[in-house]
Amino acid sequence: MRTRHPIAASLAVGGYVVMLVPILFVVVTAFTAGSTLRFPPDGFSLRWFEAALTYEPFTSSLLSSLMLAAISAVLALALGVPVALAVHRGALPGRSVVEGLFLSPLIVPELVVGLALYQQLMVGFGLDNFQTLLLGHTVLMFPYAVRVTGASLALIDPAVEDAARGLGASPGRTFLSVTLPLLRPGLFSAALLSFITSFNNVPLSLLLQSRDFRTLPVVMLDYVQQNYDPIVAAISVLILAGTVLVAVIAERTVGFARVFGGINR
Amino acid sequence: MTHAARFHGVSQVFGDFTAVDNIDLDIPDGKLTTLLGPSGCGKTTSLRMLAGYLAPTRGTISIAGVDSTRTPPERRNLGMVFQSYALFPHMSVADNVGFGLKMRRVPAADRARRVTESLELVGLAHLSASKPKKLSGGQQQRVALARAIAIRPKLLLLDEPLSNLDARLRIQMRAEIRRIQAETGLAVVLVTHDQDEALEMSDEMVLMKDGRIQQQGTPQAVFPAPANRFVAEFLGYENFLTDAGGATTTIRPEHLALSVSERTPAAETGAVLPGVVLDVAYRGVDVLVTVASADVSGARVELLADLRAESAPDLTPGADVWVHVPATHLVPLAAD
Ligand SMILES: Nc1ncnc2c1ncn2[C@@H]1O[C@H](COP(=O)(O)OP(=O)(O)OP(=O)(O)O)[C@@H](O)[C@H]1O
Ligand SMILES: [Mg+2]
Repeated sequence: MRTRHPIAASLAVGGYVVMLVPILFVVVTAFTAGSTLRFPPDGFSLRWFEAALTYEPFTSSLLSSLMLAAISAVLALALGVPVALAVHRGALPGRSVVEGLFLSPLIVPELVVGLALYQQLMVGFGLDNFQTLLLGHTVLMFPYAVRVTGASLALIDPAVEDAARGLGASPGRTFLSVTLPLLRPGLFSAALLSFITSFNNVPLSLLLQSRDFRTLPVVMLDYVQQNYDPIVAAISVLILAGTVLVAVIAERTVGFARVFGGINR
Repeated sequence: MTHAARFHGVSQVFGDFTAVDNIDLDIPDGKLTTLLGPSGCGKTTSLRMLAGYLAPTRGTISIAGVDSTRTPPERRNLGMVFQSYALFPHMSVADNVGFGLKMRRVPAADRARRVTESLELVGLAHLSASKPKKLSGGQQQRVALARAIAIRPKLLLLDEPLSNLDARLRIQMRAEIRRIQAETGLAVVLVTHDQDEALEMSDEMVLMKDGRIQQQGTPQAVFPAPANRFVAEFLGYENFLTDAGGATTTIRPEHLALSVSERTPAAETGAVLPGVVLDVAYRGVDVLVTVASADVSGARVELLADLRAESAPDLTPGADVWVHVPATHLVPLAAD
């Protein structure tokens, strides 16, 4: 174990407190029997969970969000993996420029991306807002996919791929039987990260919403602006529970450290 | 003599750096050839061109008499062992060894038999179900060897196969690789920067420097007659003397004799040079003595004598000595 500087340690603890305490408040208030978002809660009940799960705007937008996140994660991977391969394995001239280019959506403000997509795709090409959102989310997820896949690609010894070629495997066969299996944890974490980022996205989804297609965060935001009851806390707790479940599955199947270890490299 | 492979005027240029410079090289069939040279001299680059991972900038490479310069690695049928072993971490030992056979669509029953055969050859049949991560470095290396041999390659290429092993295992594996070479009759190209390894293992050794071949031949031919100063230094010739005609000659430390008076170990003809002892290093079996002297041209030289401990005169730094340089062991050198 490395020893921590006391100031760094107290900052870290402070950070966790700032992050976790409000979440705890939300969780506790979701179980209230009363009808206002208040702490401490009035009694205990599951009525707000029932309300959240039967409130049609929540359930339909939850499905929309899940669908959008799943499809854009898959699309981002389908585009990101070949790019990561080209950047890390191909003989690309000026690869750092290319890499920078593909990471640039990370620093362009999402509202700008959203507005550009709105003008070009919805107004210009007449795409509907699901298609535009899908495109927007895919563009946003894409740099994550390239980065995370690239990080796990960098961990694979290129000699392993050379060895497969030398033993008679074509480049395609080498990719399928050696590179891809070794890349699986990286792909899994890229997909998970993309999914979560898309699911939580507000700016793009807010800008590109329409009456027939809205994501859950947008609907929740809308709801909080007009009402102040614990149903929002309940749906938040449900999302939190879902996220924790995904994290547990990730830990059990691939290992949390391996899934998220790639992200910061 | 038939050739397993042949380099003809091969160069490899990276940007403005020439890593391999116009080499002509014949790899004899059924023998063990080593590429020997210091770090960065182009050994791995040459091997990678032979294996097909790197296209030569100029020149041609033929394998078993067929021009293979543009053949991709998967169609060269060569067995390569990488310095990092490069085992497939997600496959068992048996699947690693069987990978090349699977690519060749060898039926499962034949495949299993040949996997077992190859693993038996390296003494690891009992580990066929293990994952590579569970094995020691030496065992991983044997698996890499078995995997390369299983495809019955035209040539076996080994890039510094022993450099990641500890000293004892390294010595043991030298003999092991020789045995496997003899049993399979394969032509083997082994890259190393260790001259002892090359001398002990080679049928044929090729010395390289700065992307060029300096000398090629059997260890018995090369060792006593290094072609130039680089080869001599690389093979442990420590003493370089300029003779009366201005040519450079070299002699090994164990061939020098020292005496306290000028005339003692008479016997042989040759020069006797006066000198002063600079350093004495006792090493058990032998003693290394460094002497400051001057050669016949009058130039100041430092000479290193390697004496048998039991017959060495008792010397201390500062003592005057005579250095006997027997003419029969003097090797004339060509300019580099
Ligand atoms: N892809 C490359 N791009 C640029 N230079 C390279 C490349 N590959 C090798 N080199 C350079 O070519 C020279 C020869 O490299 P090579 O790997 O063949 O040396 P080596 O003899 O195998 O040395 P070592 O004993 O260190 O492995 C080195 O100076 C190396 O830096
Ligand atoms: Mg090398």
